Amino acid sequence: MTDVPEPAIEARDLVRRFGKVEAVSGVSFSVAQGEFFALLGPNGAGKTTTLQMLTTLLRPSSGSAHVFGNDTAKRPARVRSALGMVFQEPALDDRLTARENLEIHGALYRIPRNELRARVGEALDWAALAEVGARTVRSFSGGMKRRLELARALMHRPRLLFLDEPTLGLDPQGRRHLWERIERLRGQGLTVFMTTHYLQEAEACDRVGIIDGGKLIALGAPDELKERADAGDAASLEDVFIELTGRQLRDEEAGPRARMLGFAKRGGEHTR
Amino acid sequence: MTDALPAGSHVLAGARVVWAMWRRELLRYRRDRSQIFGAVSRTVLWLIILGFGLGAALRDIEGYSYAQYILPGVVTLNILFASLQSAIALVWDREVGLLREVLVSPAPMPAVALGKLLGGATIAVIQGSIPLLAIPFLDLRISLPQLLLAWAVMFSMGVLVTAFGVIVASRMTTFEGFGSISNGIIQPLYFLSGSIYPLKGIVGGVGFLDIPLALREELRSLGIFALGSGWVVQLPLWLEVLVYANPLSYQLDLLRYLILGFQQLPLALDLAAVLVLPIVAAAIAAWMMNGLRRR
Repeated sequence: MTDVPEPAIEARDLVRRFGKVEAVSGVSFSVAQGEFFALLGPNGAGKTTTLQMLTTLLRPSSGSAHVFGNDTAKRPARVRSALGMVFQEPALDDRLTARENLEIHGALYRIPRNELRARVGEALDWAALAEVGARTVRSFSGGMKRRLELARALMHRPRLLFLDEPTLGLDPQGRRHLWERIERLRGQGLTVFMTTHYLQEAEACDRVGIIDGGKLIALGAPDELKERADAGDAASLEDVFIELTGRQLRDEEAGPRARMLGFAKRGGEHTR
Repeated sequence: MTDALPAGSHVLAGARVVWAMWRRELLRYRRDRSQIFGAVSRTVLWLIILGFGLGAALRDIEGYSYAQYILPGVVTLNILFASLQSAIALVWDREVGLLREVLVSPAPMPAVALGKLLGGATIAVIQGSIPLLAIPFLDLRISLPQLLLAWAVMFSMGVLVTAFGVIVASRMTTFEGFGSISNGIIQPLYFLSGSIYPLKGIVGGVGFLDIPLALREELRSLGIFALGSGWVVQLPLWLEVLVYANPLSYQLDLLRYLILGFQQLPLALDLAAVLVLPIVAAAIAAWMMNGLRRR
Protein backbone atom coordinates (compact mmCIF):
# COMPACT_ATOMS: atom_id res chain seq x y z
CA MET A 1 0.00 0.00 0.00
CA THR A 2 1.19 3.48 -0.80
CA ASP A 3 0.42 6.36 1.47
CA VAL A 4 -2.42 7.68 -0.69
CA PRO A 5 -5.35 7.51 1.71
CA GLU A 6 -8.71 6.27 0.50
CA PRO A 7 -10.97 9.10 -0.62
CA ALA A 8 -13.60 10.43 1.78
CA ILE A 9 -16.22 10.23 -0.96
CA GLU A 10 -16.09 8.26 -4.16
CA ALA A 11 -19.12 8.52 -6.47
CA ARG A 12 -19.23 6.37 -9.59
CA ASP A 13 -21.86 6.92 -12.29
CA LEU A 14 -24.53 7.82 -9.77
CA VAL A 15 -27.99 7.73 -11.31
CA ARG A 16 -31.27 8.37 -9.63
CA ARG A 17 -34.64 8.23 -11.29
CA PHE A 18 -37.99 9.24 -9.83
CA GLY A 19 -40.51 7.49 -12.01
CA LYS A 20 -39.59 8.60 -15.52
CA VAL A 21 -37.65 11.66 -14.43
CA GLU A 22 -33.91 11.28 -14.12
CA ALA A 23 -32.84 13.69 -11.40
CA VAL A 24 -29.18 12.62 -11.44
CA SER A 25 -27.79 10.99 -14.55
CA GLY A 26 -24.34 9.56 -14.16
CA VAL A 27 -22.36 11.67 -11.74
CA SER A 28 -18.79 10.65 -10.86
CA PHE A 29 -16.33 12.46 -8.63
CA SER A 30 -14.22 11.90 -5.58
CA VAL A 31 -13.42 14.00 -2.57
CA ALA A 32 -10.10 13.49 -0.82
CA GLN A 33 -9.80 13.33 2.94
CA GLY A 34 -9.46 16.80 4.43
CA GLU A 35 -10.77 18.46 1.30
CA PHE A 36 -13.39 21.21 1.24
CA PHE A 37 -15.68 20.43 -1.67
CA ALA A 38 -18.66 22.44 -2.91
CA LEU A 39 -21.40 21.23 -5.20
CA LEU A 40 -22.97 24.12 -7.08
CA GLY A 41 -25.99 24.16 -9.28
CA PRO A 42 -29.18 26.00 -10.06
CA ASN A 43 -32.49 24.91 -8.55
CA GLY A 44 -33.53 21.43 -9.56
CA ALA A 45 -30.08 20.56 -10.93
CA GLY A 46 -29.74 17.41 -8.82
CA LYS A 47 -27.72 18.79 -5.89
CA THR A 48 -30.06 17.60 -3.18
CA THR A 49 -30.63 14.23 -4.81
CA THR A 50 -26.86 13.70 -5.01
CA LEU A 51 -26.44 14.75 -1.41
CA GLN A 52 -29.21 12.38 -0.31
CA MET A 53 -27.57 9.48 -2.10
CA LEU A 54 -24.24 10.23 -0.44
CA THR A 55 -25.86 10.40 2.98
CA THR A 56 -27.75 7.08 2.49
CA LEU A 57 -31.17 8.75 2.41
CA LEU A 58 -31.80 7.76 -1.19
CA ARG A 59 -30.77 4.58 -2.93
CA PRO A 60 -29.03 5.13 -6.28
CA SER A 61 -30.95 3.70 -9.24
CA SER A 62 -27.57 2.66 -10.59
CA GLY A 63 -23.93 3.41 -9.91
CA SER A 64 -22.44 3.54 -6.46
CA ALA A 65 -21.13 5.83 -3.78
CA HIS A 66 -18.50 5.01 -1.20
CA VAL A 67 -17.80 6.96 1.96
CA PHE A 68 -14.41 6.07 3.47
CA GLY A 69 -14.53 2.87 1.48
CA ASN A 70 -18.00 1.83 2.65
CA ASP A 71 -20.70 1.38 0.05
CA THR A 72 -23.62 3.67 0.95
CA ALA A 73 -26.15 1.08 -0.21
CA LYS A 74 -24.51 -1.96 1.36
CA ARG A 75 -23.15 -0.64 4.64
CA PRO A 76 -25.35 2.36 5.38
CA ALA A 77 -24.94 2.14 9.16
CA ARG A 78 -21.17 2.52 8.90
CA VAL A 79 -21.49 5.42 6.51
CA ARG A 80 -23.98 7.12 8.79
CA SER A 81 -21.81 6.91 11.87
CA ALA A 82 -18.89 8.49 9.99
CA LEU A 83 -20.77 11.55 8.81
CA GLY A 84 -22.26 14.67 10.31
CA MET A 85 -25.10 16.47 8.61
CA VAL A 86 -26.40 20.03 8.69
CA PHE A 87 -29.71 20.35 6.92
CA GLN A 88 -31.04 23.22 4.90
CA GLU A 89 -34.05 23.54 7.20
CA PRO A 90 -32.97 22.80 10.76
CA ALA A 91 -33.88 19.22 11.68
CA LEU A 92 -34.54 20.05 15.30
CA ASP A 93 -37.51 19.36 17.54
CA ASP A 94 -38.90 22.82 18.19
CA ARG A 95 -40.75 21.77 21.29
CA LEU A 96 -37.65 20.39 22.99
CA THR A 97 -34.89 22.42 24.56
CA ALA A 98 -31.47 22.75 22.93
CA ARG A 99 -30.07 20.41 25.55
CA GLU A 100 -32.76 17.77 24.97
CA ASN A 101 -32.15 17.88 21.23
CA LEU A 102 -28.46 17.23 21.81
CA GLU A 103 -29.22 14.41 24.25
CA ILE A 104 -31.26 12.64 21.59
CA HIS A 105 -28.30 12.96 19.24
CA GLY A 106 -26.14 11.30 21.88
CA ALA A 107 -28.46 8.29 22.01
CA LEU A 108 -28.71 8.03 18.22
CA TYR A 109 -24.93 8.08 17.77
CA ARG A 110 -24.07 5.99 20.82
CA ILE A 111 -22.09 8.63 22.61
CA PRO A 112 -21.16 6.91 25.88
CA ARG A 113 -23.57 7.87 28.63
CA ASN A 114 -20.89 8.90 31.08
CA GLU A 115 -19.51 11.36 28.53
CA LEU A 116 -22.83 12.68 27.32
CA ARG A 117 -23.27 15.48 29.86
CA ALA A 118 -19.84 16.86 29.16
CA ARG A 119 -20.24 16.54 25.40
CA VAL A 120 -23.62 18.30 25.44
CA GLY A 121 -22.08 21.08 27.54
CA GLU A 122 -19.17 21.39 25.12
CA ALA A 123 -21.48 21.53 22.13
CA LEU A 124 -23.59 24.26 23.74
CA ASP A 125 -20.45 26.26 24.56
CA TRP A 126 -19.14 25.76 21.07
CA ALA A 127 -22.39 27.05 19.59
CA ALA A 128 -22.36 29.98 22.05
CA LEU A 129 -25.74 28.77 23.34
CA ALA A 130 -24.78 27.71 26.87
CA GLU A 131 -27.04 30.37 28.40
CA VAL A 132 -30.12 29.23 26.51
CA GLY A 133 -29.60 25.47 26.66
CA ALA A 134 -32.75 25.02 28.74
CA ARG A 135 -34.95 27.03 26.39
CA THR A 136 -37.12 25.37 23.78
CA VAL A 137 -35.72 25.63 20.27
CA ARG A 138 -38.97 27.21 19.16
CA SER A 139 -37.79 30.49 20.66
CA PHE A 140 -34.47 30.44 18.74
CA SER A 141 -33.62 32.61 15.74
CA GLY A 142 -32.57 31.02 12.46
CA GLY A 143 -28.92 31.71 13.24
CA MET A 144 -29.13 30.11 16.69
CA LYS A 145 -30.77 27.01 15.21
CA ARG A 146 -28.06 26.72 12.57
CA ARG A 147 -25.33 27.02 15.22
CA LEU A 148 -27.04 24.38 17.32
CA GLU A 149 -27.34 22.07 14.32
CA LEU A 150 -23.69 22.49 13.44
CA ALA A 151 -22.62 21.81 17.02
CA ARG A 152 -24.85 18.75 17.05
CA ALA A 153 -23.51 17.46 13.74
CA LEU A 154 -20.01 17.55 15.26
CA MET A 155 -20.90 16.04 18.62
CA HIS A 156 -20.07 12.49 17.61
CA ARG A 157 -16.79 13.66 16.03
CA PRO A 158 -17.54 12.74 12.42
CA ARG A 159 -14.79 12.56 9.81
CA LEU A 160 -16.98 14.01 7.09
CA LEU A 161 -19.37 16.92 7.39
CA PHE A 162 -22.23 17.55 4.96
CA LEU A 163 -23.66 21.04 4.77
CA ASP A 164 -26.79 21.60 2.71
CA GLU A 165 -27.05 25.30 1.86
CA PRO A 166 -25.53 26.14 5.24
CA THR A 167 -25.79 29.92 5.09
CA LEU A 168 -29.34 30.16 3.79
CA GLY A 169 -31.16 32.73 5.89
CA LEU A 170 -28.12 33.75 7.95
CA ASP A 171 -27.12 37.37 8.46
CA PRO A 172 -23.51 38.41 7.65
CA GLN A 173 -22.44 37.95 11.27
CA GLY A 174 -23.92 34.49 11.37
CA ARG A 175 -22.25 33.60 8.10
CA ARG A 176 -18.87 34.88 9.26
CA HIS A 177 -19.19 32.92 12.50
CA LEU A 178 -20.06 29.76 10.59
CA TRP A 179 -17.09 30.03 8.23
CA GLU A 180 -14.66 30.69 11.05
CA ARG A 181 -15.91 27.59 12.81
CA ILE A 182 -15.61 25.46 9.71
CA GLU A 183 -12.16 26.83 8.91
CA ARG A 184 -10.97 25.81 12.36
CA LEU A 185 -12.42 22.31 11.97
CA ARG A 186 -10.72 21.86 8.65
CA GLY A 187 -7.44 22.62 10.37
CA GLN A 188 -8.16 19.48 12.41
CA GLY A 189 -8.53 17.34 9.30
CA LEU A 190 -12.29 17.33 8.80
CA THR A 191 -13.57 16.75 5.27
CA VAL A 192 -16.39 19.09 4.30
CA PHE A 193 -18.91 18.64 1.49
CA MET A 194 -21.41 21.41 0.90
CA THR A 195 -24.07 22.41 -1.55
CA THR A 196 -24.66 26.08 -2.11
CA HIS A 197 -26.15 28.79 -4.26
CA TYR A 198 -23.75 31.43 -3.01
CA LEU A 199 -20.81 31.46 -5.33
CA GLN A 200 -18.65 33.74 -3.21
CA GLU A 201 -18.70 31.02 -0.57
CA ALA A 202 -17.54 28.42 -3.03
CA GLU A 203 -14.47 30.55 -3.82
CA ALA A 204 -13.00 29.43 -0.51
CA CYS A 205 -13.31 25.75 -1.36
CA ASP A 206 -10.52 23.49 -2.54
CA ARG A 207 -12.57 22.17 -5.39
CA VAL A 208 -15.94 22.89 -6.89
CA GLY A 209 -18.29 20.74 -8.90
CA ILE A 210 -20.98 22.37 -11.00
CA ILE A 211 -24.05 20.25 -11.62
CA ASP A 212 -26.88 20.96 -14.03
CA GLY A 213 -29.57 18.79 -15.55
CA GLY A 214 -28.39 15.91 -13.39
CA LYS A 215 -24.87 15.96 -14.88
CA LEU A 216 -21.60 17.23 -13.54
CA ILE A 217 -20.60 19.82 -16.11
CA ALA A 218 -17.45 21.20 -14.50
CA LEU A 219 -15.10 20.05 -11.78
CA GLY A 220 -11.94 21.67 -10.47
CA ALA A 221 -10.37 24.28 -8.22
CA PRO A 222 -12.13 27.68 -8.43
CA ASP A 223 -9.11 29.25 -10.19
CA GLU A 224 -8.93 26.47 -12.74
CA LEU A 225 -12.57 26.86 -13.59
CA LYS A 226 -12.14 30.59 -14.06
CA GLU A 227 -9.22 30.06 -16.41
CA ARG A 228 -11.04 27.47 -18.39
CA ALA A 229 -14.08 29.64 -18.99
CA ASP A 230 -13.86 32.47 -21.51
CA ALA A 231 -15.64 34.81 -19.19
CA GLY A 232 -12.87 37.40 -19.32
CA ASP A 233 -9.91 38.20 -17.11
CA ALA A 234 -11.63 39.35 -13.99
CA ALA A 235 -14.06 36.43 -14.08
CA SER A 236 -15.73 35.39 -10.86
CA LEU A 237 -17.06 31.96 -10.19
CA GLU A 238 -20.48 33.41 -10.77
CA ASP A 239 -19.58 34.35 -14.35
CA VAL A 240 -18.32 30.83 -14.91
CA PHE A 241 -21.48 29.43 -13.39
CA ILE A 242 -23.77 31.53 -15.58
CA GLU A 243 -21.74 30.73 -18.66
CA LEU A 244 -22.01 27.02 -18.00
CA THR A 245 -25.57 26.77 -16.84
CA GLY A 246 -27.18 29.52 -18.91
CA ARG A 247 -29.30 32.49 -17.99
CA GLN A 248 -32.60 30.75 -18.02
CA LEU A 249 -34.59 31.05 -14.80
CA ARG A 250 -35.16 27.79 -12.96
CA ASP A 251 -38.55 27.28 -11.48
CA GLU A 252 -39.16 24.34 -9.26
CA GLU A 253 -42.44 22.87 -8.28
CA ALA A 254 -43.02 23.05 -4.55
CA GLY A 255 -42.23 19.67 -3.01
CA PRO A 256 -43.77 18.28 0.15
CA ARG A 257 -41.22 20.11 2.28
CA ALA A 258 -41.90 23.49 0.71
CA ARG A 259 -45.61 22.94 1.06
CA MET A 260 -45.21 21.90 4.66
CA LEU A 261 -43.17 25.01 5.40
CA GLY A 262 -45.80 27.13 3.71
CA PHE A 263 -48.37 25.49 5.94
CA ALA A 264 -46.25 26.26 8.99
CA LYS A 265 -45.88 29.90 8.01
CA ARG A 266 -49.63 30.26 7.63
CA GLY A 267 -49.97 29.34 11.27
CA GLY A 268 -49.44 25.61 11.05
CA GLU A 269 -51.06 23.10 13.31
CA HIS A 270 -50.40 21.96 16.82
CA THR A 271 -48.09 19.31 15.43
CA ARG A 272 -44.89 21.23 15.75
CA MET B 1 -16.36 -0.03 14.25
CA THR B 2 -19.94 -0.73 15.15
CA ASP B 3 -19.71 -4.28 13.90
CA ALA B 4 -16.88 -5.09 16.29
CA LEU B 5 -18.99 -4.42 19.34
CA PRO B 6 -20.43 -7.41 21.23
CA ALA B 7 -24.06 -8.27 20.55
CA GLY B 8 -25.16 -7.15 24.02
CA SER B 9 -24.06 -3.60 23.36
CA HIS B 10 -26.23 -3.47 20.22
CA VAL B 11 -29.26 -4.37 22.30
CA LEU B 12 -28.28 -1.76 24.87
CA ALA B 13 -27.77 0.91 22.21
CA GLY B 14 -31.14 -0.01 20.71
CA ALA B 15 -32.82 0.24 24.09
CA ARG B 16 -31.27 3.66 24.53
CA VAL B 17 -32.75 4.81 21.22
CA VAL B 18 -36.17 3.46 22.25
CA TRP B 19 -35.88 5.34 25.52
CA ALA B 20 -34.75 8.59 23.82
CA MET B 21 -37.65 8.48 21.34
CA TRP B 22 -40.16 7.62 24.07
CA ARG B 23 -38.89 10.50 26.20
CA ARG B 24 -39.13 12.85 23.24
CA GLU B 25 -42.82 12.03 22.77
CA LEU B 26 -43.52 12.62 26.44
CA LEU B 27 -41.61 15.88 26.59
CA ARG B 28 -43.54 17.12 23.59
CA TYR B 29 -46.79 16.12 25.25
CA ARG B 30 -45.89 17.86 28.48
CA ARG B 31 -45.27 21.13 26.66
CA ASP B 32 -48.54 20.98 24.74
CA ARG B 33 -51.28 22.11 27.06
CA SER B 34 -53.86 22.14 24.27
CA GLN B 35 -53.78 18.35 24.19
CA ILE B 36 -54.70 18.07 27.87
CA PHE B 37 -57.35 20.71 27.36
CA GLY B 38 -58.77 18.65 24.48
CA ALA B 39 -59.01 15.55 26.67
CA VAL B 40 -60.79 17.44 29.42
CA SER B 41 -63.19 19.12 27.04
CA ARG B 42 -64.03 15.86 25.26
CA THR B 43 -64.72 14.27 28.64
CA VAL B 44 -67.02 17.09 29.66
CA LEU B 45 -68.84 17.18 26.33
CA TRP B 46 -69.40 13.48 25.93
CA LEU B 47 -69.64 12.18 29.41
CA ILE B 48 -71.35 15.01 31.22
CA ILE B 49 -73.35 16.76 28.54
CA LEU B 50 -74.23 13.89 26.24
CA GLY B 51 -74.12 11.29 29.00
CA PHE B 52 -76.61 13.09 31.17
CA GLY B 53 -78.49 14.76 28.32
CA LEU B 54 -79.21 11.63 26.36
CA GLY B 55 -79.21 9.69 29.58
CA ALA B 56 -82.33 11.60 30.60
CA ALA B 57 -84.13 10.02 27.65
CA LEU B 58 -82.70 6.53 27.98
CA ARG B 59 -83.29 5.23 31.41
CA ASP B 60 -80.69 2.50 31.25
CA ILE B 61 -78.78 0.10 29.06
CA GLU B 62 -78.77 -3.36 30.59
CA GLY B 63 -79.01 -1.73 33.97
CA TYR B 64 -76.27 0.85 33.36
CA SER B 65 -76.98 4.54 33.08
CA TYR B 66 -76.11 6.04 29.71
CA ALA B 67 -73.22 8.04 31.20
CA GLN B 68 -71.86 4.84 32.72
CA TYR B 69 -72.29 3.02 29.43
CA ILE B 70 -70.35 5.54 27.36
CA LEU B 71 -67.51 6.05 29.88
CA PRO B 72 -65.26 3.40 28.26
CA GLY B 73 -66.16 4.91 24.90
CA VAL B 74 -64.99 8.35 25.98
CA VAL B 75 -61.75 6.77 27.24
CA THR B 76 -61.37 5.25 23.77
CA LEU B 77 -62.07 8.59 22.10
CA ASN B 78 -59.25 10.21 24.06
CA ILE B 79 -56.93 7.36 23.17
CA LEU B 80 -57.80 7.77 19.49
CA PHE B 81 -57.02 11.48 19.55
CA ALA B 82 -53.80 11.16 21.53
CA SER B 83 -52.41 8.25 19.48
CA LEU B 84 -53.25 9.66 16.10
CA GLN B 85 -51.97 13.11 16.95
CA SER B 86 -48.68 11.63 17.99
CA ALA B 87 -48.53 9.40 14.90
CA ILE B 88 -49.53 12.03 12.35
CA ALA B 89 -46.79 14.36 13.61
CA LEU B 90 -44.56 11.99 11.65
CA VAL B 91 -45.59 13.60 8.36
CA TRP B 92 -44.35 16.89 9.65
CA ASP B 93 -41.33 15.47 11.36
CA ARG B 94 -40.15 13.76 8.20
CA GLU B 95 -40.23 16.89 6.05
CA VAL B 96 -39.16 19.68 8.38
CA GLY B 97 -38.51 18.13 11.79
CA LEU B 98 -36.16 15.99 13.78
CA LEU B 99 -36.91 12.78 11.91
CA ARG B 100 -34.44 13.75 9.15
CA GLU B 101 -31.69 13.83 11.75
CA VAL B 102 -32.83 10.39 12.93
CA LEU B 103 -32.83 9.04 9.36
CA VAL B 104 -29.18 9.99 8.68
CA SER B 105 -28.07 8.66 12.06
CA PRO B 106 -26.87 5.09 12.56
CA ALA B 107 -29.76 4.39 14.97
CA PRO B 108 -31.71 1.22 14.10
CA MET B 109 -35.12 2.14 12.69
CA PRO B 110 -37.09 -0.58 14.54
CA ALA B 111 -35.88 0.98 17.81
CA VAL B 112 -36.94 4.43 16.61
CA ALA B 113 -40.37 3.08 15.65
CA LEU B 114 -40.77 1.24 18.95
CA GLY B 115 -39.93 4.38 20.91
CA LYS B 116 -42.47 6.32 18.91
CA LEU B 117 -45.20 3.69 19.42
CA LEU B 118 -44.55 3.29 23.14
CA GLY B 119 -44.48 7.06 23.52
CA GLY B 120 -47.77 7.48 21.67
CA ALA B 121 -49.34 4.69 23.74
CA THR B 122 -48.12 6.17 27.02
CA ILE B 123 -49.65 9.54 26.15
CA ALA B 124 -52.82 7.70 25.13
CA VAL B 125 -53.05 6.05 28.56
CA ILE B 126 -52.57 9.38 30.31
CA GLN B 127 -55.14 11.10 28.11
CA GLY B 128 -57.50 8.14 28.39
CA SER B 129 -57.28 8.25 32.18
CA ILE B 130 -58.81 11.70 32.35
CA PRO B 131 -62.41 10.41 31.87
CA LEU B 132 -61.70 7.75 34.51
CA LEU B 133 -61.53 10.56 37.06
CA ALA B 134 -65.30 10.80 36.67
CA ILE B 135 -65.80 7.28 38.07
CA PRO B 136 -66.73 8.39 41.62
CA PHE B 137 -69.37 10.74 40.21
CA LEU B 138 -70.97 8.06 38.06
CA ASP B 139 -71.86 5.76 40.91
CA LEU B 140 -69.15 3.33 39.85
CA ARG B 141 -66.37 1.63 41.74
CA ILE B 142 -63.21 0.20 40.34
CA SER B 143 -60.73 -1.96 42.22
CA LEU B 144 -56.98 -1.57 41.82
CA PRO B 145 -56.52 -4.80 39.83
CA GLN B 146 -59.38 -3.75 37.55
CA LEU B 147 -57.75 -0.37 37.05
CA LEU B 148 -54.37 -1.93 36.25
CA LEU B 149 -55.96 -4.28 33.74
CA ALA B 150 -57.92 -1.40 32.23
CA TRP B 151 -54.64 0.51 31.81
CA ALA B 152 -53.10 -2.51 30.12
CA VAL B 153 -56.00 -2.64 27.63
CA MET B 154 -55.74 1.12 27.09
CA PHE B 155 -52.00 0.77 26.43
CA SER B 156 -52.65 -1.97 23.90
CA MET B 157 -55.25 0.25 22.23
CA GLY B 158 -52.70 3.09 22.20
CA VAL B 159 -50.07 0.94 20.50
CA LEU B 160 -52.59 -0.31 17.92
CA VAL B 161 -53.92 3.13 17.02
CA THR B 162 -50.49 4.80 17.02
CA ALA B 163 -49.15 2.04 14.77
CA PHE B 164 -52.12 2.45 12.47
CA GLY B 165 -51.51 6.20 12.40
CA VAL B 166 -47.82 5.70 11.63
CA ILE B 167 -48.74 3.42 8.72
CA VAL B 168 -51.09 6.09 7.36
CA ALA B 169 -48.61 8.91 8.05
CA SER B 170 -45.70 7.23 6.32
CA ARG B 171 -47.76 7.15 3.13
CA MET B 172 -48.97 10.75 3.38
CA THR B 173 -46.96 13.34 1.48
CA THR B 174 -48.80 16.47 2.46
CA PHE B 175 -50.44 17.63 5.58
CA GLU B 176 -53.02 20.36 5.63
CA GLY B 177 -54.36 19.97 9.11
CA PHE B 178 -55.60 17.55 11.66
CA GLY B 179 -59.24 18.10 10.67
CA SER B 180 -59.25 15.49 7.94
CA ILE B 181 -57.70 12.95 10.30
CA SER B 182 -60.35 13.69 12.89
CA ASN B 183 -63.23 13.42 10.44
CA GLY B 184 -61.81 10.67 8.27
CA ILE B 185 -60.31 8.32 10.83
CA ILE B 186 -61.11 9.15 14.44
CA GLN B 187 -64.84 9.66 14.14
CA PRO B 188 -65.61 6.56 12.03
CA LEU B 189 -63.52 4.39 14.36
CA TYR B 190 -65.22 5.91 17.36
CA PHE B 191 -68.80 5.74 16.16
CA LEU B 192 -68.37 2.24 14.73
CA SER B 193 -67.00 0.68 17.89
CA GLY B 194 -70.18 0.39 19.90
CA SER B 195 -68.89 3.28 21.99
CA ILE B 196 -72.11 5.24 22.22
CA TYR B 197 -74.78 2.64 21.53
CA PRO B 198 -75.08 -0.98 22.55
CA LEU B 199 -74.63 -3.71 19.97
CA LYS B 200 -77.48 -5.68 21.43
CA GLY B 201 -79.27 -5.86 24.70
CA ILE B 202 -82.05 -4.01 26.38
CA VAL B 203 -82.41 -0.27 26.44
CA GLY B 204 -84.53 1.12 29.22
CA GLY B 205 -87.89 2.76 28.53
CA VAL B 206 -88.10 6.17 26.99
CA GLY B 207 -89.11 8.97 29.31
CA PHE B 208 -90.57 8.23 32.65
CA LEU B 209 -93.27 5.84 31.52
CA ASP B 210 -92.94 2.12 31.58
CA ILE B 211 -94.16 0.52 28.43
CA PRO B 212 -97.64 -0.81 29.12
CA LEU B 213 -98.29 -4.45 28.41
CA ALA B 214 -100.78 -3.75 25.64
CA LEU B 215 -98.34 -1.53 23.78
CA ARG B 216 -95.64 -4.13 24.21
CA GLU B 217 -97.86 -6.75 22.58
CA GLU B 218 -98.57 -4.39 19.76
CA LEU B 219 -94.88 -3.71 19.24
CA ARG B 220 -94.12 -7.37 19.24
CA SER B 221 -96.53 -7.86 16.37
CA LEU B 222 -94.45 -5.29 14.49
CA GLY B 223 -91.27 -7.24 15.20
CA ILE B 224 -89.97 -4.94 17.96
CA PHE B 225 -89.31 -6.87 21.09
CA ALA B 226 -89.81 -5.04 24.30
CA LEU B 227 -88.56 -6.77 27.40
CA GLY B 228 -89.14 -5.62 30.93
CA SER B 229 -89.54 -1.93 30.59
CA GLY B 230 -87.35 -1.51 27.53
CA TRP B 231 -86.54 -2.46 23.98
CA VAL B 232 -84.30 -5.06 22.53
CA VAL B 233 -81.69 -3.39 20.42
CA GLN B 234 -81.14 -4.85 17.01
CA LEU B 235 -78.69 -2.91 14.83
CA PRO B 236 -79.25 -2.86 11.06
CA LEU B 237 -77.12 -5.54 9.44
CA TRP B 238 -74.77 -3.20 7.56
CA LEU B 239 -74.01 -1.31 10.75
CA GLU B 240 -73.47 -4.52 12.63
CA VAL B 241 -71.00 -5.67 9.98
CA LEU B 242 -69.03 -2.44 10.24
CA VAL B 243 -68.94 -2.58 14.01
CA TYR B 244 -67.84 -6.22 13.99
CA ALA B 245 -65.14 -5.44 11.43
CA ASN B 246 -63.67 -2.66 13.57
CA PRO B 247 -60.89 -4.11 15.75
CA LEU B 248 -61.42 -1.29 18.20
CA SER B 249 -64.88 -2.70 19.03
CA TYR B 250 -63.27 -5.73 20.63
CA GLN B 251 -60.71 -3.77 22.60
CA LEU B 252 -63.41 -1.41 23.79
CA ASP B 253 -65.60 -4.39 24.71
CA LEU B 254 -62.88 -5.71 26.99
CA LEU B 255 -62.33 -2.28 28.47
CA ARG B 256 -66.04 -1.98 29.19
CA TYR B 257 -65.98 -5.40 30.79
CA LEU B 258 -63.15 -4.27 33.09
CA ILE B 259 -64.74 -0.97 34.01
CA LEU B 260 -68.44 -1.94 34.10
CA GLY B 261 -68.51 -5.72 34.05
CA PHE B 262 -70.63 -5.59 30.89
CA GLN B 263 -69.59 -7.42 27.77
CA GLN B 264 -71.20 -7.94 24.37
CA LEU B 265 -68.68 -9.69 22.12
CA PRO B 266 -66.88 -13.05 22.32
CA LEU B 267 -64.18 -12.84 24.98
CA ALA B 268 -61.68 -14.82 22.89
CA LEU B 269 -61.89 -12.25 20.11
CA ASP B 270 -61.53 -9.43 22.63
CA LEU B 271 -58.37 -10.97 24.00
CA ALA B 272 -56.96 -11.61 20.53
CA ALA B 273 -57.60 -7.99 19.57
CA VAL B 274 -55.81 -6.78 22.68
CA LEU B 275 -52.88 -9.18 22.68
CA VAL B 276 -52.16 -9.92 19.03
CA LEU B 277 -53.27 -6.99 16.87
CA PRO B 278 -51.01 -4.34 18.43
CA ILE B 279 -47.95 -6.50 17.84
CA VAL B 280 -48.86 -7.11 14.21
CA ALA B 281 -49.61 -3.43 13.64
CA ALA B 282 -46.39 -2.37 15.39
CA ALA B 283 -44.36 -4.67 13.15
CA ILE B 284 -45.96 -3.20 10.02
CA ALA B 285 -45.42 0.34 11.34
CA ALA B 286 -41.74 -0.36 12.02
CA TRP B 287 -41.37 -1.79 8.54
CA MET B 288 -43.00 1.30 7.02
CA MET B 289 -40.75 3.61 9.01
CA ASN B 290 -37.73 1.63 7.91
CA GLY B 291 -38.90 2.28 4.36
CA LEU B 292 -38.52 6.02 4.91
CA ARG B 293 -34.80 5.50 5.12
CA ARG B 294 -34.30 3.43 2.01
CA ARG B 295 -36.24 5.18 -0.67
